[in-house]
Amino acid sequence: MAENMNIKLKVWRQAGPHTQGRFETYSVPDANPHMSFLELLDVLNEQLIKSGTDPVEFDHDCREGICGSCGVVVDGVAHGPQRRTACCQLHMRHYQDGDTIVVEPWRAEAFPIIKDLVVDRSAFDRIIAAGGYVSINAGSAQDANNLPIAKDKADLAMDYAACIGCGACVAACPNASASLFTAAKISHLAMLPQGSPERKKRVTAMVDQMAEEGFGDCSNHAECEAVCPKGISISSIATMRREYMKAMLS
Amino acid sequence: MSSKNPLRSPIGKKLVTGVTGLGLVVFVFIHMTGNLALFTGNEAYNQYTHFLTSLGGLLYVIEAGLVAFFLFHIVNGIQIWLGKRKARPVGYDTYKSAGSPSQQSASSRSMIITGLILAVFLVVHVISFKFGPGGPGNADPAYVTTIGGEEVRDLAKLVRENFASPFYTFGYTFVMLLLVVHLRHGIWSALQSLGAMRPSLTPLVYTIGAVVGVLIGAGFIALPLAIYFNLI
Amino acid sequence: MTTVLDSKIPEGPLNEKWGNYKNGIKLVNPANKRKHTILVVGTGLAGGSAASTLAELGYKVKSFCIQDSPRRAHSIAAQGGINAAKNYPNDGDTVWRLFYDTVKGGDYRSREANVHRLAEVSNEIIDQCVAQGVPFAREYGGLLDNRSFGGAQVSRTFYARGQTGQQLLLGAYQSMSRQIGLGNIEMFARQEMLDLVVVDGKARGIITRNLVTGEIESHSGDAVLLCTGGYGNVYYLSTNAKNSNVTAAWRCHKKGAAFANPCFTQIHPTCIPVSGDYQSKLTLMSESLRNDGRVWVPKKQGDNRRPRDIPEDERDYYLERRYPSFGNLVPRDVASRNAKYACDEGKGVGETKLAVFLDFAEAINRLGKPAIEARYGNLFEMYERITGENPYETPMRIYPAVHYTMGGLWVDYELQSNIPGLFVLGEANFSDHGANRLGASALMQGLADGYFVIPYTLGNYIANNELPHVAETDEAFAKAASDSSGRLEKLLSIQGTKTVTEYHRELGRLVWDYVGMSRTAEGLKKAIVEITALREDFWKNVLVPGENSTMNKNLEFAGRVADFLELGELMARDALEREESCGGHFREEYQSEDGEASRNDDLFTYVAAWFHTENGHQLVKEPLTYENVKLTTRSYK
Repeated sequence: MAENMNIKLKVWRQAGPHTQGRFETYSVPDANPHMSFLELLDVLNEQLIKSGTDPVEFDHDCREGICGSCGVVVDGVAHGPQRRTACCQLHMRHYQDGDTIVVEPWRAEAFPIIKDLVVDRSAFDRIIAAGGYVSINAGSAQDANNLPIAKDKADLAMDYAACIGCGACVAACPNASASLFTAAKISHLAMLPQGSPERKKRVTAMVDQMAEEGFGDCSNHAECEAVCPKGISISSIATMRREYMKAMLS
Repeated sequence: MSSKNPLRSPIGKKLVTGVTGLGLVVFVFIHMTGNLALFTGNEAYNQYTHFLTSLGGLLYVIEAGLVAFFLFHIVNGIQIWLGKRKARPVGYDTYKSAGSPSQQSASSRSMIITGLILAVFLVVHVISFKFGPGGPGNADPAYVTTIGGEEVRDLAKLVRENFASPFYTFGYTFVMLLLVVHLRHGIWSALQSLGAMRPSLTPLVYTIGAVVGVLIGAGFIALPLAIYFNLI
Repeated sequence: MTTVLDSKIPEGPLNEKWGNYKNGIKLVNPANKRKHTILVVGTGLAGGSAASTLAELGYKVKSFCIQDSPRRAHSIAAQGGINAAKNYPNDGDTVWRLFYDTVKGGDYRSREANVHRLAEVSNEIIDQCVAQGVPFAREYGGLLDNRSFGGAQVSRTFYARGQTGQQLLLGAYQSMSRQIGLGNIEMFARQEMLDLVVVDGKARGIITRNLVTGEIESHSGDAVLLCTGGYGNVYYLSTNAKNSNVTAAWRCHKKGAAFANPCFTQIHPTCIPVSGDYQSKLTLMSESLRNDGRVWVPKKQGDNRRPRDIPEDERDYYLERRYPSFGNLVPRDVASRNAKYACDEGKGVGETKLAVFLDFAEAINRLGKPAIEARYGNLFEMYERITGENPYETPMRIYPAVHYTMGGLWVDYELQSNIPGLFVLGEANFSDHGANRLGASALMQGLADGYFVIPYTLGNYIANNELPHVAETDEAFAKAASDSSGRLEKLLSIQGTKTVTEYHRELGRLVWDYVGMSRTAEGLKKAIVEITALREDFWKNVLVPGENSTMNKNLEFAGRVADFLELGELMARDALEREESCGGHFREEYQSEDGEASRNDDLFTYVAAWFHTENGHQLVKEPLTYENVKLTTRSYK
């Protein structure tokens, strides 16, 4: 078996939304290079429970990088050091025995902390509810092949649609802006004829909702693209702005 | 179809900042090339400035436009900065950039600082040149010269006098370096804000932004240094 | 207690049953739909599509999910694709063929009428999803691309890169979001259903726990739709998401709903193997890898040489050896079982010896690395990210893992359980996949149930039943709420020495060893005894930290593991009762001379529906009749 490592974790602990938080440092003596970062937190939690301490709460579910539940800032980078990887698929082989890892929740006014590393990302759902859809009732669709779509357009739409809604873009943005998340959905639907009839209403409503939720404005740092587990390009933000201008001018 | 106040929305603010920013880039570029006239002699320079003042009403229109551009650009910049502080009231204990493709840099993170210094500089600059000796409301026979029999303001003299001072020269140079830093992120950012970007073009536009920024800065810095070191 | 289960299969020839059903149902007046509250639990493909569709029709929908957002349910992780009988490639597919393949693939343990309906509506699903903007893969001509999947002889699988489940789920989520924005759906995220409320014999509400505040809430409605997925996490390690659980379904079962065929579980052969005790879940690698990868183990037991150092003649390509005509492409259950046998013989590879090799060297030599990269690049990358090994240079290590559960709450043709007003959709029901599910048909079933079946069958229920208002202050709610909070308090008060995870891991090991890929009467009896003992110990010695009044994921897990501890035992009982080998259920006593599954159609062509009674579980059999297909034996030799 691979050699165990001793890893120190400096973790943000906060009992509830309105309580004062603080960092606690814990030592995990039996970390293993094959384990994932979340499994390291599991091991820490088992240790804490046995010692009568409340475990560290963190969101997680599929643990294969697609559900978007997990997300913490690891040593200053959303989802940690491995590119295009959600922290559930970050593995401990990237660390050395004796390393200290700083773990913090997403920090943004629009993502209030619920407990420890868990934040409330429902603002994202409200942005989608404002217009991130095609208005089509079940049963009223025409045959799927009646609407040919050029392969490159469809592929580009898929690039944008790959967003997992984890919130890393907001967490990493120096302005806590939700532009990449919002733009990814707008761009996905803007690439497709299905999304066309509602495009003006969509971009306006979603952008207004984004502002309403208290996210910051974009300053084109492109930090969001660098931390996005799906590598969604900031060209989506450019597309969103073009869509917005078209809506403004009509 | 558009929101109640589209120019106040997150995207509207960026559009305004981008449009005014690009407009100001064009302005500083023209300003910079105008400055270079001094390299060919005082007369050429004074002729150029006289041409500008002789535009009369049109000049007022241009000046009013410039003031508006500056104000919109500055106010939006400040609002975006305030908004960002509100959007993340509690910062990170540890924060670092994830690296490429992030474009985060000292330039991008200091836009508010370089911008505000440039704004203060702008005021000082306008007071010391436009409204300086021989300028509007500040008639001074010492700063009058004649070109082809016509009396014109001898701005060249004022420029040479000011840049004889080490404080003014190096202060000016420093601020122009900040302008380069501002433009390094600003030009690319404005283009992205206006939706002009494609992923394949990003590196190219970012480079062009940097080169144009450096050119403008170099053009501005060349004159005071040349005067200070008695090269012209 | 119900002793006869009526499947309510409509009259008429197979291909007219669904039409006949729709012609015969009562409709709800559009103006009245608004007066009916429908509680939809779960927001995966089934729950998301049902909630949005019912809201579009005008019902007042309340939707619940345990995740922080309805966009995260585990349907999102499905990679491969979704089947439909569109026959766009013109390769001979028909509704009948999709129906037939699904029934045959299910090893003749599903209902003909249900499966035929599934095949009939499959095409509409694709239309609906495309109209929503789901970016399916396309050909250069702009039309939809199809691929062959899971050994099907026709190309009927639609896909969106390796993220089909994600895109379909986001389509449903967006439709839901639209209805949330319109005020037709009230969304309750981070809420876990803890009990079903039955009033006058009908499902009339649910009890939930707010996972942020710990508050117990009552929600009353005219019908309850359970769309809560499968129970694969009973094995502790599975490809399911960490929060996937059986609690909502199990609580309904304990309120009287029959649980059908719990022993039918699917084990997927190509997962990344376990690397240590800390392992929290397993990751699936698409089975398309078997198209070019060759499965082998060393001939010698405990051979620790590096795979490249083991000469050809010391390798056992056991699938190619045993199944010369199908080779590495044998169905999931066969491939999984053979991997287990190889490891049981001590020929497993890797640190844990619980893995076999999947080797691409031959394909790379034959086709070149670029061709392999084009086909499997993203999968190879994922493998390397998780294991730190480069599969272009060294063979992958793979091992089977639990992936899907065909069993679930019993439902009739209307997707209604034996409790009136309780409907069960998607993986949570037992209905369409028999003893084994074919690739790319889980997504199809979830969406069929939600978009195209429930709108009709729920309406028929609402229109035919008197549903007087039941207040949330009703005695039945108070009782169920106090039972639920009592249980939570009990879990917190034990303060023993073993953590919830330790119990879960132990349960998983028992269920995996005895009710896993290969089962024996002896093992199953042992499992029943040991799971019972473990359950008793759990209620005496579990250590749940924290309190009830805040977010406390350990408390959530404790409740779920408590239910898994009951379900595990029932799975063993069901597997013991079914003295045959079929689909995912392989009883070692029932195999042919050459080691293949032998089904017993004379005695076991039935659905095993289990009722919870005070004296333990009671089995009721719903006989399956096949009027349209002839039962045959699968052979891959």
